[in-house]
Amino acid sequence: MILTPLLLAPLALSATAPRVDLFAIRAPRVEVGNGETLHHAVILIEGGKIVTIGEDLPIERGIPVLELDEEQVVIPGLVDAYSRYGMSSRGYSDSRPYLLASAELPEKGNGFKQLREIGVTTLGIYPPGSGIPGQAVAVRTQGMSPEELILRDSCYLKIIAGANRSAKARISDGFKKADSWEEKEKKNREKWEKAKEKFDKEKDAEKKKKLDPGPYKPIEPDRNAEAFRQLRAGTLKALISISTAADYLHLLDAIGDEEFQWDLRVGLTRNTDVFHVIDRIGEAGKRVIMEPELTLHPGTRRQRNLPAEFARAGAKLVLVPRGDSTQAFKDWRRNVGEIVAAGLDFQTALSAMTLEGARLLGVDDQVGSLESGKAANLIILDGEPFEATTKVVAVILDGDLVYGEVDL
Amino acid sequence: MVMRLLLLLLAAPAFGGERLVLRVGKLLTMSDADTIYAPGMVVCEEGKLTYVGPPREVSADATLLDYPDSWCAPGLVDLHTHIHGPGINDMVRAVNPELRARPCVIPGNAAIRRGCAAGVTTLFGIPGSGTNMGGFGVLYKARMRQPTYETIVLRDPGGLKVAQDSNPQRRNATDFGVTRAGQSWNIRDVALRAKAAAAQGRRDPALDELSRVMTGDLPVLIHTAGSEGVVNTARMWKVDFQTRCVVSHGSFDGWKAAPALARMGCPVNHGPRTVDYFASHNGRINGTSAEFVRAGVPLFSLNTDSGVVPEEEFFLQGAMSARYGADSYAMLKAMTANPAKVFGIEHRVGSLEVGKDADVVVWTGDPLDPRVHTRLVLIEGDVEFDRDEDGRLF
Amino acid sequence: MRTLIRTKATLFLVLAALTLGVLPVAHAGDDEPKEKAAEEESSEPEEPQDKWFAVVDGDVYTGTGAVLRGATVLCKNGVIEDIGYDLWMPEETETLDARGYRVYPGLVAINSSGLFGAGSDLPNTFNPFGQNLVLALGSGITTALTGNEVGKLKYGTLEGVQVKTNVFRYLSFSKSSPAGKRSLREKLAKAAKYRRAYAQYEIDKKKNKDLKEPSKKNVDSNLVSLLDGKWRPVFRANERTDLLEIAHLAQQYGFRPIIQGCREGWTVADELGRAGASAIITPRDRRPKSEQLVREGGSSIENAAILYRAGVSVAIIPGNVGISLGGIVGRDLMHLTVEAAFAVRGGLSDEAALAGLTIEPARLMGIDHRVGSLEVGKDADMIITDGDILHYKTFVQWTVIDGEIVYDKEAHLYFAHIRPRPDSSLAPEQRLDAGENPPEEAAAAEGGDEEESEEASEPKEGGGGQG
Repeated sequence: MILTPLLLAPLALSATAPRVDLFAIRAPRVEVGNGETLHHAVILIEGGKIVTIGEDLPIERGIPVLELDEEQVVIPGLVDAYSRYGMSSRGYSDSRPYLLASAELPEKGNGFKQLREIGVTTLGIYPPGSGIPGQAVAVRTQGMSPEELILRDSCYLKIIAGANRSAKARISDGFKKADSWEEKEKKNREKWEKAKEKFDKEKDAEKKKKLDPGPYKPIEPDRNAEAFRQLRAGTLKALISISTAADYLHLLDAIGDEEFQWDLRVGLTRNTDVFHVIDRIGEAGKRVIMEPELTLHPGTRRQRNLPAEFARAGAKLVLVPRGDSTQAFKDWRRNVGEIVAAGLDFQTALSAMTLEGARLLGVDDQVGSLESGKAANLIILDGEPFEATTKVVAVILDGDLVYGEVDL
Repeated sequence: MVMRLLLLLLAAPAFGGERLVLRVGKLLTMSDADTIYAPGMVVCEEGKLTYVGPPREVSADATLLDYPDSWCAPGLVDLHTHIHGPGINDMVRAVNPELRARPCVIPGNAAIRRGCAAGVTTLFGIPGSGTNMGGFGVLYKARMRQPTYETIVLRDPGGLKVAQDSNPQRRNATDFGVTRAGQSWNIRDVALRAKAAAAQGRRDPALDELSRVMTGDLPVLIHTAGSEGVVNTARMWKVDFQTRCVVSHGSFDGWKAAPALARMGCPVNHGPRTVDYFASHNGRINGTSAEFVRAGVPLFSLNTDSGVVPEEEFFLQGAMSARYGADSYAMLKAMTANPAKVFGIEHRVGSLEVGKDADVVVWTGDPLDPRVHTRLVLIEGDVEFDRDEDGRLF
Repeated sequence: MRTLIRTKATLFLVLAALTLGVLPVAHAGDDEPKEKAAEEESSEPEEPQDKWFAVVDGDVYTGTGAVLRGATVLCKNGVIEDIGYDLWMPEETETLDARGYRVYPGLVAINSSGLFGAGSDLPNTFNPFGQNLVLALGSGITTALTGNEVGKLKYGTLEGVQVKTNVFRYLSFSKSSPAGKRSLREKLAKAAKYRRAYAQYEIDKKKNKDLKEPSKKNVDSNLVSLLDGKWRPVFRANERTDLLEIAHLAQQYGFRPIIQGCREGWTVADELGRAGASAIITPRDRRPKSEQLVREGGSSIENAAILYRAGVSVAIIPGNVGISLGGIVGRDLMHLTVEAAFAVRGGLSDEAALAGLTIEPARLMGIDHRVGSLEVGKDADMIITDGDILHYKTFVQWTVIDGEIVYDKEAHLYFAHIRPRPDSSLAPEQRLDAGENPPEEAAAAEGGDEEESEEASEPKEGGGGQG
């Protein structure tokens, strides 16, 4: 039987395309994405999810099996947690923590067809602009409408940090706004409680009627304070963008004693000086998003592999394409391969393109690695994942073959 | 006492028989043998040195100047200067082999005087680098006591000034010669015509002096910077034309061409930049003088390109070169004996040896140290600057 | 032996610096074990305890006149605890062996540009990793004015950067603005009148309790506090006539002016001295007087010396207050000591020239209780050099701020190749003069006493130098 790429007949997608609900893949090698490698692996997929995965598992008779060749390798579908693919980069430059990137998703479309073909199955779309531009959304790369696309909204609040007063103030001001909202809310509550107490104490029915404060009504939420309240509560995390070593120290200064969960975005420019704080960032165990770039030590022609240095120092690495063009996505795996050739650990690199990105987006319970219970998002490659000559044979997204042609 | 003796001397400078004797704590001759006398003595007669060596008996008729705590060295020789007067470049034509700096010279002007006070005694005053061939410069002395052109000139024309690469490219974009190809032709064309004229014994007023350059009679100083510019220049003037040439500046990444220059045997007159960071590509703040010397470039010398660096800070070019890796003594040589040899005036200046011009500077210590100042500057035996009398000009 | 006895913390710092700056970048994690070890050590539970640091056996130039040969500077929590010989030191003291080197107070730049990053608002803009910062540290500068703020050149941290804000208050009194001159005179007169009235009021009040305070209407309270001696005004002035008038004004009203520029100060030095003036000058300032002018004027190399002799305290700053890497060297903040050397050329003593880079600027900026000299109780800001700080070949080997090593010549690529230390850990290919550095010179650096720097420039007798 032949699984036809659904993409070839998008109009017939839901109605007529033959969907194989239960099938297995027998693969000589599977890279799970969490650091493990399985040999002679079997992946059982049902209803778009991985039911079981393991080495040398028996397959029940009657279940269609996709038998892979000896040189073929299965890796998880790629997760780009930081992208503006196909979207405008125009945005505000002040603090608008309430804006949602999900609002920009097209009402209708073919999803992200070109990305699917490359093997990108999950995309984190961040809000455009500088300052505090809003919150990111995680989407599948398949779906006709926002509802179908969205995996999770409000994945992270994007914050751009810097060594200047206004960038630092944006962070502390956000928390101050949260404080003042809490204060107002507390007063409001106290007022209501007092009224309620009075009401409860009153015996006279006539008077009591007048005193009834009704059910408690909280004050209007402040959209500027809300995101920061969520940061504190741990229901939202921040992704903070820095570009220099000094930015990092000023960020720590701006954060002060405030406790919340935050990851880092580090843009690697040619002569970046962020290496000065690699040890500190690594020691803090931060998750760091960057491009697979080899940079130069300032003033020299000496190459530095900062992603590898970050990983060695203890940071959790997330590697994203060098840009938002389709070409950048196509080059992504090869670019990471260059960093691997220059010393980055293979498994670290692989999880930097899959599981760590899913963790950043907070969707690692659904995607990012090939584990039972997660979506059946995977790529079949015809060789070593980071070899430049290796090609994508097929891409499966939520159990559907979205690219390639394979015999089942 | 020194004062009184000096007054005597000044009162009767014309008497040729008058002998001036300098006794110093340390005498750097800057000779080929690198002889140093500590203490030392020089005797000047009729503008020339008649004795250089350890102190000895002084005859009664001589004027004795005693500086037991001071150092004495030859006057400094700066081959790349523009302070002789106004009118740095005639900017109409790209090549001007017929022009001479002589009419521009204002002898003993304030800038020259400060240079003299800081130990500079010989200068090559040249046109700027606005055109490919600015013309001929004058070798002159930094005399400051009522000088005239006749009393200061050492050689005229002293040599040719050529500017290859960088600056001349800034001319009007429609001019011929804004590219290196055009410049190269401009220079080659006129140089070869001059050479042919010389070979045929033909006289051409515009090319006469250039012919002397092409036959090796006169030196040529070539403004050029950057490694590829430096090599282009040396190849043309040293290898192809076989002239008595010296590459001037050699700035920016010019030091990277140092081994090539050493192989071609092409001397370098370095400055005003003596440090490179941007082209070092190894994160170093690189002392470029040290790089040239290390590569074995012959007769390495320094310059000020004054007024880019004020003439009176010529010594500082040596001090900074030494700070960034070169040897102090080698740098003093790069401001005395080496430039003199490069321009074929070593029989007159650059070192303190019998028979040479009595261009002598007395310093309070190491001439390269900014804390040290001059006490006395003699040019051809005449006191041109005396600290006690003239004050601290610099 | 010249060894750094490193505590755990420094080991980590030095290793990190070497890995980042000097050693070839390691691929494949070859330095992993070292880093791990250091990490483990530094992650031990730390109790809040005193931090001790000592620079041991150096020739200590305190900047207040005293020179202690082979002495130790002991620092506790960033402050100098003791200076002297055979000091008691706690066991955990981190030490830097400075035998054969000189120890000076960190230099104080009374103006700067581009050392700290964006410049003003240091707590929010300071770049503690900037190239210019490192180059300035490598030039011996530990404290600098930027904008109107004083900061310390703290490497790798934002802590304790800002030392003082609103440092200078300017007044203008120049012949180019007669109206401005008149106005200042009038305001000063009013302020003086008010002060007299207030003094009288203080006396009369005792007798008559209902007496009203004198009116402050139209009185400039800034100038009142000036006349109270609370601050010193800064004038930007160069010309003799302006300088004279400022001196007279100052004497009339009893304040002590700070004069920036002061080009022709040498022609009116006595007047300025009598006015208790201080000067911030550039010894190499060059503006010859007009040939038509009969009187003395223009710049003079002797300016600093003449002013100093007349009792005017002198702070020194180069004409270019930034860091310049354009290749024409010796004129910027990287060569602050060269500028001071030019003051010596003009007749100032070495000691006064050094004071012009340390204690004098600290006094003028009102931070001399913390920096500017090596004294017990002051901030442990110092530089360790391989020779006389005013000698043109001398390099700063280490810079210490608040009792921590913030710069090591060998840990940065900029100067490491130039005359490496005898015990240098640099690989041969990283030395500029590999194989050329004569052992004599190394030995001279080892000796490191006063005569050494002068001798260094002499060739070997009869030797061929390098040419």
